[in-house]
Amino acid sequence: MPGVKPSTVPGRLLAEVVSMMKIRFLDPNGVENVQERINSDPEFRIAAKYMSQDILIAADDQQCIFKVRDGVITKIMVNPSPMEPWDFFIKAPEKSWELFLRLLPPPFFHSLFGATIREDFRFGGNVEAMFTHYWATQRMLTILRQFQNEPGGKS
Amino acid sequence: MRLESITGKYGYITVHGVKYRVYFEESGEGVPLLCQHTAGGDGRQWRHLMNDEEVTSKYRVVAVDLPYHGRSLPPESVEWWTEEYKLTKRFFMDFLVEFSHALGLDRPVFIGCSMGGHMALDLALECPDEFRAVIGLESAEFTPGLDIIWFNHPRISGEFRFANLFESTAPSSPEKYRREVGWVYSQSAPPVFRGDLHYYSVEHNVTDQLHQIDTSRIAVYLLCGEYDFASTPEMCQQTASKIKGAKYTEMKGLGHFPVIENYELCKTYLMPILEEISKIHG
Repeated sequence: MPGVKPSTVPGRLLAEVVSMMKIRFLDPNGVENVQERINSDPEFRIAAKYMSQDILIAADDQQCIFKVRDGVITKIMVNPSPMEPWDFFIKAPEKSWELFLRLLPPPFFHSLFGATIREDFRFGGNVEAMFTHYWATQRMLTILRQFQNEPGGKS
Repeated sequence: MRLESITGKYGYITVHGVKYRVYFEESGEGVPLLCQHTAGGDGRQWRHLMNDEEVTSKYRVVAVDLPYHGRSLPPESVEWWTEEYKLTKRFFMDFLVEFSHALGLDRPVFIGCSMGGHMALDLALECPDEFRAVIGLESAEFTPGLDIIWFNHPRISGEFRFANLFESTAPSSPEKYRREVGWVYSQSAPPVFRGDLHYYSVEHNVTDQLHQIDTSRIAVYLLCGEYDFASTPEMCQQTASKIKGAKYTEMKGLGHFPVIENYELCKTYLMPILEEISKIHG
């Protein structure tokens, strides 16, 4: 965001020392579970009702694409081909995703918007589509956070 | 039916030659406490404070909806639909002073959140004799970069504001009140939030003037929620450090909407200040 300077916050320092955790939604073995969790969420079903978008999510060099059609996640592609199309992306270093996915994230990592204007999350591509479906995207990320913190979720 | 102590009224005031019909609520008796809502919000944000007997036993709490906000409609004498809505500092400040005079408030304490927090600084600078103290929540000298096109765009619905302002609260605040923040934000007319951000993020800039605030004439208290990414604690603290005699408090576990997202926690920070003001400046 032009004019918005990242602040020095405990979260940024924390990112340097955070213990390494596996990001569960990037694990090909957990994809079906993630898909089922999001599609069965009552709030996501309302928020995503008119959504048909492909969302690229990247953590360093790990990537996945959530394919949403008429409010339903039809496929999650882990480590897709670079030729695979997408509409908008959300990218951050893995260590920042680990902070974002905490049940009680440090300040600014609790929000996609906050983590972008004050930290090192970035979004791009068809930004208009992302803001159109911001509620659904936000809810999807919240479910990923819940999923990350379920028993057995941390390596 | 259990009735709250809050009463609502409509009144007419004239600012810059234009007559406005404005809605305001009040509760309590004592030192007048004038409450200013956030950008794109309205006076409902103060409902917990106005229902708190510990506050209303000492303070006459008044919360006004700015014109174009809440139940204060646009003025009848202006073709407002032919002009882009933008809140200006001059109108904002003059409206508040005029409203205070119209109600006969005697040098009220001013408390405002977000753009209201910014206004606390502008009032302390330009109207120190009109108020006995200002309390700025989520206040900063300058918050550039947040006048964003997507806050008022024909293809982006109010649903974006609903979600975006919800996540401006702290994650530990009660879910029901976090959602209430989003609810109120989804209800403003399309141009209002971004129009208010013209003041919040473009026009309000007191970076080079803060040293002129004289806290012997008007007490200044600034507080900021730990999770506020719009006006961060770092920015608020820096602002306070430039005002001799100003008091700064970081509110742990709170976000951009402390008085509504978690009033009980906010109160632990706010009440000592209200006690101090009523003792020293009451």
